[in-house]
Amino acid sequence: MLMIILALDALDLKQVERFNCHHLLQTEYGETSLTGFKQERTVVLWASFLTGKNLEASIPVETQWTYRVHSEKTFLPYFTTHKTIDVPAFSFNQKAHVEERGLLKGVFDETVTIEAYDAVVWRNHEKNKEAFLKTIGHFDLVMGYFNLADAIGHLSFGINDKLAVVYEELDRIAEAVKDSNDLLFIISDHGMKAIGRYGDHSRNGFYSFNQEMGLHHPKITSFHMLLRRLAENEYATS
Amino acid sequence: MDKDLQDLEKKSIAIIREAKAQFKNPAILWSTGKDSTTTIWLCKKAFFGDIPFPVIHIDTGRKFPTMYAFRDKIAAEWGFNLLIAKNESALNQGMAPEKGRLDCCTDLKTEALKDLLQERKFDALFLAIRRDEHAIRAKERYYSPRDNDFNWNYADQPAELWNLYVKPSEDFSHMRVHPILHWTERDVWQYLQQENLPINPLYYAKDGMRYRSLGCMPCTVPIPSTASTVDDIIQELETSKTPERAGRTQDKEKAYMMQKLRALGYM
Repeated sequence: MLMIILALDALDLKQVERFNCHHLLQTEYGETSLTGFKQERTVVLWASFLTGKNLEASIPVETQWTYRVHSEKTFLPYFTTHKTIDVPAFSFNQKAHVEERGLLKGVFDETVTIEAYDAVVWRNHEKNKEAFLKTIGHFDLVMGYFNLADAIGHLSFGINDKLAVVYEELDRIAEAVKDSNDLLFIISDHGMKAIGRYGDHSRNGFYSFNQEMGLHHPKITSFHMLLRRLAENEYATS
Repeated sequence: MDKDLQDLEKKSIAIIREAKAQFKNPAILWSTGKDSTTTIWLCKKAFFGDIPFPVIHIDTGRKFPTMYAFRDKIAAEWGFNLLIAKNESALNQGMAPEKGRLDCCTDLKTEALKDLLQERKFDALFLAIRRDEHAIRAKERYYSPRDNDFNWNYADQPAELWNLYVKPSEDFSHMRVHPILHWTERDVWQYLQQENLPINPLYYAKDGMRYRSLGCMPCTVPIPSTASTVDDIIQELETSKTPERAGRTQDKEKAYMMQKLRALGYM
């Protein structure tokens, strides 16, 4: 069995249901809890997801984007071979995200149009998607991170048609990597809520598995141990 | 007097008197716009002609000349204690909307007010905001505590049951008091008409355009309109589908998002 983790920044359960993304809504799905976290910072939440520990206090906001966790502190080494694509706090593509954040600021400063910003976000997304899809099947664990819902959502969460296109795209990715022999785990760091046309982080993330796991409103830090056990059981019986 | 307007006025005056009794050193903000002019008039009525606290005008140096002329004329006629909050240092350093609208608003409005508040130790500020103005303002209460950084925690506000407005026991920098929170834009215009109050001429249409909301000159744009009297404006509002603050380029949602994204480290 292979495991695929689809890490989707800001994926929100209400929107997944609203847009009827049935590939994202798998056998078991629900919301995750951010209890214990003061803020919904992307890097903090993904670092905490990878390590199973709340790292909020040890990741200053000023230097968060360059923060990296050591592989041995994550669940990744429990898989014989693994590959991560653009995962925050681990294999984040600095150049692409610096460009996106620069353009985001430009939109607020009115030096960049939202359309120009969106174009770069989509371009980076397509590159990541290509790399992710190529990697599937070659490693025991593949974890691909996509920030489309977060990056587009911050400026356009309240624009229904635009958000629908984003969720359709993420649903297509889930469809493309679905295989009944593999374990597909979809996880977001936080959800999103509308502030007029804009989108703000909400306190509940999303998770889904294509198998029953029996989880109930898990914390984002709870998955570390679950993934370790899944990996250990898999290799113990193979 | 119109019964509905009478009810609105009665509640607002009760809030003003209550706040004056609860706070030692209040003040009121006045932009010279229709809402804050209505509110200082309500304060005059609440205290039988004299406003027993200072009226603060935040001068960004970038307001319409008509607003300054209106301010000085009304201040002289109504005889209140007018204080000007102005961030001279930011203005001397060339702060302008071109350097970022949020930064400009923060320096020329928020910082100017913070300085005056610190200097005069005001513990309550009357503001003429209304719930129907904007989605974020709809979350406001009549009593709205602010911390030292002027932060407002809308998820943790005092309950206001049975028209009881209670000063929280926890530490707070100052209280924002919103006497006309329950009024609508139309109510304000009807009240201005009923009370025959002075109105900034920028609100009246000229060459097919008028200002519906007044702010700084570089960041406020007029709307297409032929309304040249208060009656016309009230009639226009009956059919308008445009938000009141559509002419403000620095909208509150955008400002909120920018602040939030900064806090999250995006910018």
